[in-house]
Amino acid sequence: MASISVQLLQALTQELTGLPAIPGDLAIAASQLAAQLDGLARLDALDLLAVEPATVLVPPPEAPEGPHAA
Amino acid sequence: MPPDNLTRLSIAEAGDLFRRRALSPVELTRAYLDRIRRLDGDLLAYITVLQDEALAAAAAAEREIARGEDRGPLHGIPIALKDLVMTRGVRTTCGSRILREWVPDTDATVARRLADAGAVLLGKLNMHEFAYGPTGVNPHYGTSRNPWDRHRIPGGSSSGSGVAVAAGLCAGALGTDTGGSVRIPAALCGIVGLKPTYGRVSRAGVIPLAWSLDHVGPMTRTVADAALLLQVLAGRDPADPSTSAMPVPDYRRALQGGVRGLRLGVPKDLFYERLDPEVRAAVAAAARSLEGLGAVVEEISLPTIQHAGPASFAIIASEAMAYHEPYLRTRAGEYGEDVRARLTTGQFVLAHQYLKAQRARQVIRADVDAVLTRVDALLTPTTPIPAPRPDEREITVDGVTQDARWWLIRCTRPINVTGHPALSVPCGLTAAGLPIGLQVVGRAFDEATLLRVGHAFESASPLKPRWPPLDL
Repeated sequence: MASISVQLLQALTQELTGLPAIPGDLAIAASQLAAQLDGLARLDALDLLAVEPATVLVPPPEAPEGPHAA
Repeated sequence: MPPDNLTRLSIAEAGDLFRRRALSPVELTRAYLDRIRRLDGDLLAYITVLQDEALAAAAAAEREIARGEDRGPLHGIPIALKDLVMTRGVRTTCGSRILREWVPDTDATVARRLADAGAVLLGKLNMHEFAYGPTGVNPHYGTSRNPWDRHRIPGGSSSGSGVAVAAGLCAGALGTDTGGSVRIPAALCGIVGLKPTYGRVSRAGVIPLAWSLDHVGPMTRTVADAALLLQVLAGRDPADPSTSAMPVPDYRRALQGGVRGLRLGVPKDLFYERLDPEVRAAVAAAARSLEGLGAVVEEISLPTIQHAGPASFAIIASEAMAYHEPYLRTRAGEYGEDVRARLTTGQFVLAHQYLKAQRARQVIRADVDAVLTRVDALLTPTTPIPAPRPDEREITVDGVTQDARWWLIRCTRPINVTGHPALSVPCGLTAAGLPIGLQVVGRAFDEATLLRVGHAFESASPLKPRWPPLDL
């Protein structure tokens, strides 16, 4: 399993996303990401060259009724 | 009939009694409210109980039925909604502290369809915070207790829905399912849960976890009741452009077909690797039972399904992060720790990984589609393990130790990735009395065959009646 340092995630958070960096959360994130990296890399085993992504056509509208508008 | 016996009626049975004037919607609603009052202080299935509103709706239904204005099988039936389905004038917390006091001014399409069908809303149900977890553990409203063993989790994220239906605290409920959140609590609580095809049921007005994986589905005590709810929920909704205009069949009629001649596939890849021995035995017995009813059961191969887990992770993490970013920026301290940590992970999934996952999804879906040209449905366990205790962070099966959450979602999340419909139906109890679920996966928009298989199995099952050992 790959290893990801909390310090790296902390730097990315501060430099790129600007979201709160809670050390305990970053430690869990590092562990979760590390556990998934091999599986994500193995997606390359699928023949994806001619495949377009399955994306949401248009998600159901939330605004103006949704909680973010509250 | 004693009130507690009323709360054991199926939706179909209660509707039949209404129409014969042998039972009234008010009488049934009172029976449920009384049972909620007695049991829910311990079970914690509800976040909000709508006693006055429910009785008023039941009285209105009673008057309409008396006048011969019959809105159909759900008319006067007390139901409840997972608390992420927006309800006009009724708070919709999403199981969170952040939305503790949020009152929408509009109904979700599914809430409106149920109301139009005459259903009586008893209240809003507990859940894993923002639907982001398969255990149902909730730091804000307490964790719903599994009625089969109150020291075990009910599964999630639609935990309150599973508990309320199993414990007779509503006749049916809605849940949502992004990685198994309808089917997991259905399996762990011993009830029926249906994740319809992606696009079969509107998600407009349902607070999302991951837009491209979210589904809304019914949770009931019988397969026939799931059919009745799906009949009302299914169909195109202009407010949700991802819904399909595919015609909605008569699901009740579909129940009657039996399984003779149906071909049922057993996909050994992933789904049958490392199972709790009692789950393995119960699912094998279910397959034999269906064979005995005339189905042809055969092993099939689905090698690409192993990629569904990582794809699911990348998609949920990215989409959930995108939705929650505004709250994370300003109200991070109001999340429970487990959900905030999982959301935090999402900011580190790279865009190309997300898109690779969405491309992989097409390949996996095509593989499942291809298999389903040779068989009519797939049979798998719903969960590899029965309900764990809340403090069981890691579980070992066949010598492999993994996070309990990983075990819970292993057999369900691939079907969110492919978008096919999937039904969980009870297929046994462990020696300790914990329910086990059989998952039946079908062709896109062929919920009818799943209901047919589930109903045939349920009708032949020796497990009836399946009521949890609650003190009445």
